[in-house]
Amino acid sequence: MKIAAVEAWIAAPLQRYVDEARARLALLLHPSGQAIAQAGFTRRMDVMTACALAAASHATSSELGKYVDGKPFRGLHYAGPEKQLYLATIETRAGTYICLTVFDDESSLGLVRMYFDDLVRELTTAAPVAPETPAPALTADFEAELNKNLAMLFGRGEVIITNA
Amino acid sequence: MSLVNYANREITCKIVYYGPGRSGKTSNLHYIYGQVPDERKGKMVSLATQTDRTLFFDFLPLDLGQISGFSTKFQLYTVPGQVYYQTTRKLVLQGADGVVFVADSQKRQLQENIESLQDLHHNLAEQGMEARAVPLVLQYNKHDLPSELIHSAAEMSDALNFRGVPEFTADALHGPGVFETLRAIAELVLKRLSAGQSAGAGAR
Repeated sequence: MKIAAVEAWIAAPLQRYVDEARARLALLLHPSGQAIAQAGFTRRMDVMTACALAAASHATSSELGKYVDGKPFRGLHYAGPEKQLYLATIETRAGTYICLTVFDDESSLGLVRMYFDDLVRELTTAAPVAPETPAPALTADFEAELNKNLAMLFGRGEVIITNA
Repeated sequence: MSLVNYANREITCKIVYYGPGRSGKTSNLHYIYGQVPDERKGKMVSLATQTDRTLFFDFLPLDLGQISGFSTKFQLYTVPGQVYYQTTRKLVLQGADGVVFVADSQKRQLQENIESLQDLHHNLAEQGMEARAVPLVLQYNKHDLPSELIHSAAEMSDALNFRGVPEFTADALHGPGVFETLRAIAELVLKRLSAGQSAGAGAR
């Protein structure tokens, strides 16, 4: 079981949710697709990609809900042959988050939704008002490091930048 | 919205490649994907139509390695350029830390470039982002085409670069200009982040 969270107040409620709902994995993400926290087993799944796709799916279903029903869908359930997904929004004082829950036949949609409501309550209570984090102090030579790293990524020995 | 994880000293930034349809946004990502070693990139995801036009977005996660002691990751997205995908562009643009505007240098595409740049500013403003403050780099793509078919870099600059942002000519299919564009937007985004001014909702 892996638990990782960018913001500490998310970690415990998310882990409790995964344990109690008997989910395989829960990812909490920003609507822009950035991963905020994860609890559970990712196996071979790339978390960044899963979050990008979850954000896209959530955005699409929200827009679809507005067209069809006049308001965004609050949750989305997908039942695959082995795994199921539940995608829903959590509104807190700290901002809006999307939660992607992956579960299998150890759990059920009803169980996941029941404990998801608990997760929403816990996070709503725990969320700080407008959390502030300091900007990372990048060193004066960060541009040189950036150049070197990008040159290595592109298999280049020397970096020559030419403006148009 | 740049994400800064102080616990494991990790920075994640979102870069969106924007521009008119068929200007070469996906080609930029394909070229980058082809150049970067496997251990430094994630899977490239393309949500495309049957004719390979981008339907929702392309997505490529990149690991830039250690910068100032932070493991630095960039998430590259493209938007669909066709006019009728306006809603999708807005969704993908959400939380962007920087934008690469990929313009098509062909003379007959100038009006599409201008309209797409206007569309970008409109969409940023709609999301409460000050368009002039968002890190932006212009790329004048397809500069490998015969000179009689394309505008020069100076002509493209006159038409599009009223902010005086970094600009590069490119041939995204074969690589020239792709690396320079990515380097420039990465530098702008990291400088802005370091100054404590995330383009989106604020660093976490």
